[in-house]
Amino acid sequence: MAGLARVGLTGRRLVIGVPLIWLCVFFILPFLIVLKISFATQMIAIPPFSPLLDWSAGGWLPGVHIDWTNYQYMFSDSLYIVAYFNSVRIAFFATCICILLAYPMAYGVARSPERWRNILLLLIVLPFWTSLLLRVYAWIGLLKTNGVINNFLLSIGIISEPFQMMNNSFSVYVGIVYSYLPFMLLPLYAALSRLDFTLLEAASDLGASRTRAFLTITLPLSLPGVVAGAMLVFIPAVGEFVIPSLLGGTGVTMIGRVIWDEFFSNQAWPVASAVAVTLMMFLVVPIMLYQHFQTRAEGRA
Amino acid sequence: MNWKIGTGFAALAMVGMFAATAQAEDKVLNIYNWSDYIAEDTVAKFEAETGIKVRYDVYDGNETMEAKLMAGNSGYDIVVPTAFPFLDREIKAGVFQKLDKSKIPNLKNLDPELMKRVSAADPGNEHAVIWMWGTTGIGYNADAVAKRIPDAPTNSYDLVFKPENAAKLKDCGITFLDSPTDIMPIVLNYLGLDPLSSDPADLKKAEVLMMSIRPYVKYFNSSQYINDLANGDVCVSVGWSGDVFQAQARASEAANGVNIQYSIPKEGTMIWFDNVAIPKDAPHPENATKWINFILKPEIAGANSDYVAYANPVPASKEFMSEEVKDNPEIYPSEEVMAKLFAVPTKEASYTRLETRAWTTIRTGQ
Amino acid sequence: MRKTGLSPFILACMVFGFTFLYAPIIMLIIFSFNASRLVTVWAGFSTKWYGELMHDEQILGAAYLSFQIATINAFLSVIIGTMAAFALVRFGRFYGRSLMIQSISSRLVLPDVILGLSILLLFVSLQGLIGWPERRGMMTIIIAHVTFSSAYVAIVVQSRLAGLDRSFEEAAFDLGAGPFTVFRTVTLPMIAPSLIAGWLLAFILSFDDLVIASFASGPSATTLPMVIFSKVRLGINPEVNALATIIVVAVAIGVVLAGSLLQRQAATRGDGKP
Repeated sequence: MAGLARVGLTGRRLVIGVPLIWLCVFFILPFLIVLKISFATQMIAIPPFSPLLDWSAGGWLPGVHIDWTNYQYMFSDSLYIVAYFNSVRIAFFATCICILLAYPMAYGVARSPERWRNILLLLIVLPFWTSLLLRVYAWIGLLKTNGVINNFLLSIGIISEPFQMMNNSFSVYVGIVYSYLPFMLLPLYAALSRLDFTLLEAASDLGASRTRAFLTITLPLSLPGVVAGAMLVFIPAVGEFVIPSLLGGTGVTMIGRVIWDEFFSNQAWPVASAVAVTLMMFLVVPIMLYQHFQTRAEGRA
Repeated sequence: MNWKIGTGFAALAMVGMFAATAQAEDKVLNIYNWSDYIAEDTVAKFEAETGIKVRYDVYDGNETMEAKLMAGNSGYDIVVPTAFPFLDREIKAGVFQKLDKSKIPNLKNLDPELMKRVSAADPGNEHAVIWMWGTTGIGYNADAVAKRIPDAPTNSYDLVFKPENAAKLKDCGITFLDSPTDIMPIVLNYLGLDPLSSDPADLKKAEVLMMSIRPYVKYFNSSQYINDLANGDVCVSVGWSGDVFQAQARASEAANGVNIQYSIPKEGTMIWFDNVAIPKDAPHPENATKWINFILKPEIAGANSDYVAYANPVPASKEFMSEEVKDNPEIYPSEEVMAKLFAVPTKEASYTRLETRAWTTIRTGQ
Repeated sequence: MRKTGLSPFILACMVFGFTFLYAPIIMLIIFSFNASRLVTVWAGFSTKWYGELMHDEQILGAAYLSFQIATINAFLSVIIGTMAAFALVRFGRFYGRSLMIQSISSRLVLPDVILGLSILLLFVSLQGLIGWPERRGMMTIIIAHVTFSSAYVAIVVQSRLAGLDRSFEEAAFDLGAGPFTVFRTVTLPMIAPSLIAGWLLAFILSFDDLVIASFASGPSATTLPMVIFSKVRLGINPEVNALATIIVVAVAIGVVLAGSLLQRQAATRGDGKP
């Protein structure tokens, strides 16, 4: 660490300070607003919830208005718990499928000739320069009962009855995996591209099988990329609303939909905020613990 | 102001009534409306007449617009919320300012009967005027339904709410709007209950009926059905009149042989209104007032209705519409049909919560 | 020159993966040439939507605005996200570290509606307190986008930095290079793949975002997704497909041209080394 000590105090302050200030102003502060709303009472007013501090009584100190009922709702009705578990389950399987699909692709990109790598990367994200809605409509055209895939399979005689691929969990998985694939691919690529492939060649020269070389060298070294990708897919997928609502699957309620309903149908900003804060606690606390232990493990190593 | 008085009489006449306000306000008007909900040249005509530059933004639903209004200081001068439940609760929350009726002489053009119906949301019609109105009804693929149910009761909600009918239509697809406030009052009315009821026991009865036909429902969605009806992918949708006409137009444009019809069921159904209103914190309220006066001119309202195929609240405007629109009984229903249409004011928050919860049960079928 | 040595299995996976990514894109390109308004039923070949697109100032303006926002957002996010990743990986314990870790992952969790609403409420109250931002528009959308996309960049860069061999940097320091020289000449090339990956992620996050942009925008700042979604009720027509086709084809041609140019350069220089 001798060298790093020379990074002047100014530089260090700058590197820590800029993101920290940005975070505080544009994320922590808004989050505190959400937290505040989650303890407010729904009202018909602008904004549609009661203020935290009540000055109307007069005196030196304001009255503090805290309403716990928004959190109690979540335990009074199984809807919320079921929706949490549905969301976590769907996000989990979608993440697994993303890993299985993205790993070989990212590996292939990372092992391509260097001048092609950035081009392949750009080709991976290029589909996402179109609009989400257009991609969803295109998927509907592919998946529906008289859509392209079914017609093709019927015409070559593989199936005699069209598959039901729309408005069920299959279409929801296709939509989520499709939309989040780049969030798995890019971190995996970033991790795999730093691998020194001569290591692998050395291993195979020494007689290790491809599988063995992969399991002992490639996989462990790319693990940070897998973890990063899994975070970028799993966490946002839990709160996903748009894709399930467009591609169907009404049989399963995800937590994003519950928040949406509370917010827009019931105009219950406090309950919506409480559900979101709880969702955050559910997901962030394990991540915090993981990061904490990882830092400690690194510190020891 | 002195130099203005000095200029010629013609200029004065042109600057006319807004000369005084031109100093107070920028000549700008920020409008926030539904997409494609206005004739293509209306904005240009308004700009030419008043010299006010219009910044015209569009949205896809009441929800985001309402959230922006509720957060305050949206920056918009004109918004177009649906009367129930949106305009209703927004007025209660104090989002809108009162109209300066002395500056809107064209208010006299409005149909008093329609305005009376909206007054449940806006007592005394003090905050808003109707932009367009329509009904919630049944859109259906005439041939596909006839094939499955000869003599199908397409003019009645029996078509979807009787399980034996719904079962026969299952394979070609039944859809509903994904909105409890749009569907549940209709179910209450079909059951012979008061659609305005906020009795949880009545809600339960409606839920039971919906659950009995739930196995035959393909999906609940408030926009997908337009395309699916047009493509022949679903055959009965309980949806908004204008959407079904869209589907109809698209099917005939594609010449795919799909024959889409719309009916206002004989049991009676919901009527909806989209209304023009001015937020309290609007930066250009004077210009907004001029806009409202402008759109109530018969020739302007007529042109708008002609373009979007929705009914407007200005009876004199029919003169400026094509026959297809003004003589269409599904756009301008007869007196006796009008009598059966109902509007549902916002119910209490506790009931809305129960209704949303019941809807989640219905939607998931669990 | 080392053989690329992609096994048939990897090649097959790549073919499958790219097919999966491009199947809907091919669908939407085909329908941009549809004669009717429908984007899901074929009714004959036509290029009329390209003509209409050229005259549609609303869509073109929105596309230009979205492109500006996405580009600025991508650069800012890479800068801020990389700083955060550096602070977390390299600076050991510091005041605010756990706050930083926590809020980076929290930003991924909070659903768009809540994140959008909270940032809108922040802007509204800031405007009331200090008069800034005076108007909501492009700048407020960029701020909101950087706030969430920098978290994605931070996680990607962090994963790469964490596994980096520090001996090169240490060696450079020992040779007397200043910290910024070391960063520019040693660290930057080593983390470049993650910066590119992060930039691309930030770009598509912003370019495709509907909910947060709708909350953070103000009058006359309408992004492309806002225009497209507002057309759902009255029907998306192939005009939007035409725009998407132009973007995809233009970028793809640019990419392939750049690729073959690089290849020719490499060939003339005679260095086949990757």
